[in-house]
Amino acid sequence: MSRKKKTVTTSTGVEVRHKPLGLRIKNNIGYYVMFLPVLIFIIIIYYWPMLGIRYAFYDYKPVGEPAFVGFDHFTKMFSTDAFWTAFKNTLELSIMKLIITTFTAVIVSVFLNEMGNLFAKKTLQTIIYLPHFMSWAVVASIFSLFLSPSSTGLVNGLLRDWGILAEDAQNIYFLAEPAWWRPIFYIINIWKETGWGTIIFLATLSGINPELYEAADIDGATRLQKMRYVTLPALANTIITVLILNLAKVMNMFESVFVLYNNAVYSVSDVISTYIYRQTFAIALPNYGYSTAVGLFKSLVGCFLVLVCNWASKKTRGRGIV
Amino acid sequence: MKRKVLSVLLASAMVVSLAACGGEEASTSGESSSVSSAAGTEAAGTEAAGTEAAEEGSGYVLETLNMVVNGTLTATVDAGQAEFEAQWEEAVGEAIGHPIDLQIQQLDHSGYVDAVGRLFAGGDYPDVIIMSADMFKQYAPTGLLWDMAEAYENADFQSHLILPAINENLKDAEGHLYGFAPTYGNGCVTYVKKAWLDAVGIDASTIKTYDDYYNMLLAFHNGDPDGNGVTGDTYGVVAAGFMGNEAPWVNYLPEFWQDAYPALLQDESGVWYDGFQTEETKAALLRLRQAYVDGAIDPETLTASTKIAREKWFSNDQTGSSGVFTYWAGSWYQTLTDNLIKNEVDSELVQLAPIEEVGAYLNREAPVWCIIDDGDGDDSREQAIFDAFIETMMDGGTVQTLWTYGAEDVHWSTKAETFTTNPGTENEKVYEYADGEFHLKQSPNDPNSVWKKNHLDPALVVCSLDNGFADQSDLASEGNKFFTENCVDAPMSPASETYTNESGTIYDAKLAAITSVVVEGGDVEAAMQTYVDTVGSIIDQCLTELNTAE
Repeated sequence: MSRKKKTVTTSTGVEVRHKPLGLRIKNNIGYYVMFLPVLIFIIIIYYWPMLGIRYAFYDYKPVGEPAFVGFDHFTKMFSTDAFWTAFKNTLELSIMKLIITTFTAVIVSVFLNEMGNLFAKKTLQTIIYLPHFMSWAVVASIFSLFLSPSSTGLVNGLLRDWGILAEDAQNIYFLAEPAWWRPIFYIINIWKETGWGTIIFLATLSGINPELYEAADIDGATRLQKMRYVTLPALANTIITVLILNLAKVMNMFESVFVLYNNAVYSVSDVISTYIYRQTFAIALPNYGYSTAVGLFKSLVGCFLVLVCNWASKKTRGRGIV
Repeated sequence: MKRKVLSVLLASAMVVSLAACGGEEASTSGESSSVSSAAGTEAAGTEAAGTEAAEEGSGYVLETLNMVVNGTLTATVDAGQAEFEAQWEEAVGEAIGHPIDLQIQQLDHSGYVDAVGRLFAGGDYPDVIIMSADMFKQYAPTGLLWDMAEAYENADFQSHLILPAINENLKDAEGHLYGFAPTYGNGCVTYVKKAWLDAVGIDASTIKTYDDYYNMLLAFHNGDPDGNGVTGDTYGVVAAGFMGNEAPWVNYLPEFWQDAYPALLQDESGVWYDGFQTEETKAALLRLRQAYVDGAIDPETLTASTKIAREKWFSNDQTGSSGVFTYWAGSWYQTLTDNLIKNEVDSELVQLAPIEEVGAYLNREAPVWCIIDDGDGDDSREQAIFDAFIETMMDGGTVQTLWTYGAEDVHWSTKAETFTTNPGTENEKVYEYADGEFHLKQSPNDPNSVWKKNHLDPALVVCSLDNGFADQSDLASEGNKFFTENCVDAPMSPASETYTNESGTIYDAKLAAITSVVVEGGDVEAAMQTYVDTVGSIIDQCLTELNTAE
């Protein structure tokens, strides 16, 4: 009986015999020894803490031994309105934010690309990058002052001065009225993240072959037509890539919501992470088992999204993200 | 060969660096306290602290004491905490006969519950911890806290206990005492800026009813009490939330809540019921709504923390500020006045007597000091903590003075001295003291104000200070007297398993109902129905447990 020899094909198309693992390790022992501490580090730092997942099936409080409760926390979670509100809000806020900030970044990038004055372009780029480097706590403080419903609020003052808000009308509490909270949240996100988001699109734009624009000029294309038929198609692949890569992160929304929300707008702002935060830290004797269960569910959904994105990436770009 | 040698060297370097990190961590954790719960987690904190648990007869040599405290310890890191700690260690070391190292972990006051949760989640249990009444009610039945009933009964401070009922009331039905209250609870009174009253022509003594009170708020909003020439840019009252985040929930806006108490409480026959689902609460929500619409209440009350509300109230720029602020009695009367003077807002505050509909201000359940039980079945360590910490705190002498006034020659002194606050301003004040005269010094972190107290309020403490040291400002004394003459005890907080697990959900549901009525102008009946639909079954379960236990 002949043993079938394993073979591998190299990048040059040459078919070579696959050496046994032991031999490969022996031949490259140096690299494996170098890799060993990294492997240990990864196991300790990334995988060891994952053992905490088991507490999703336990009653686990700051005091006392954890008690196994099976799927009780999941049953409670799926029957709690606040959880489903948070889940729905997470998806809606994240996806809307992703779409809005991505497309705003595209538009700004295209306009920046069209600017002829290099100094003005660089200055504008620097100005719109700056908000990205401000912490969310600072951003929340600034906008809370601007949007304050009291007599010192800048935006309400302007609305009143311009006659948009009637004399006898109440000031708008932008961050505490459900109808206003989401638009304001998106505007703040656009202000903070658009500049940073333009970097990747500007890089793509700088890589467009100038001959395409020359050809368009010869064909008599206007500036708008060149944007429509040259620039945007060149950006399409990058836009899809950015959307796909960011879609995998939609469940991670926390800080931006945490600093801007309050109990008046939980119905439209509470996301899974803030829900977990409150269940864990806002009560005197929390049940970490329940928060772990919610966190585990969030991770599973996040994992599913990563796989979907990987599949979508393979379809659109020919290679996956994981 | 060179490649292999290099790889081995690099790998070794990484392993050594990892081991070094781990080693450092191990050594650090060895220094911190890690006391277990009664249910048995880790070893005793004092052992983890690297101290030897040596038996001396029935005694226990406590060499390190880890304490977790909130903002009620006013000797903060930037206000002489190091000196307080050093003097405490010296005095207590002398009292217990061996050196002791006090480790103070002071957590953010407004996020204290969260911070304690995080601390415990990390398995970092201190030896002693301060808890609000609400926290205490939830932790008491867990077995984490040591039953100090026997230690309390045998304590030396019993001989000069002046308010024994405070701690007797903390005992549960079986006589267990899981926390010690060194003072009674205190509460909030309503303060009004005198200058604003004068500006709108209202005499505080005429404020007797809710209508009087409300008309005053409207006058503050519709008039120009701050004198900047603009009407309508000020408000009547500001608070940290329409409902507080801990018991007694209504104490920041008592005039609006009146006879409503939006929490689980007992009726006269001892039966527990939900005070939130009552007609009184609905009426209170409608009053709050009206005030919100009329500008009688600062709309930022919804989101303001106590710090933000306080600072907005006495801010140098009074635009957007309010005339009324309901806040803690006693030394806060002095502190608020000092801040108004410092910011050149006003030089006088008026304490408003409870309006007829309120009747009396609420004396909250006292915060307590708890000792963490290591669960080893041997009380010697816990008794040693009691002796070093609680017994000395109430010694009537050196250590009680430290807790009451702070460190000698830092916060207070008996040496002759002269100092001036707010020099060169119209509020300049010269203080002159003779040798041997007990007096409070300038605050270490603010030379323009005089230190007021440390952790214990001398007017509220359950044991008398026997060394005769007393230097409470006239305003603070007046404030305490005013409060004690106008207060009743707040309703007792509930303690049941379901309530412990679901208190966060219940609180969220209440806030949702309150904001839907007050801010959004929603129908009060609909808001209440939503509340019932959301947490009604949880509330019923809590009530069943509470009434069954009774």
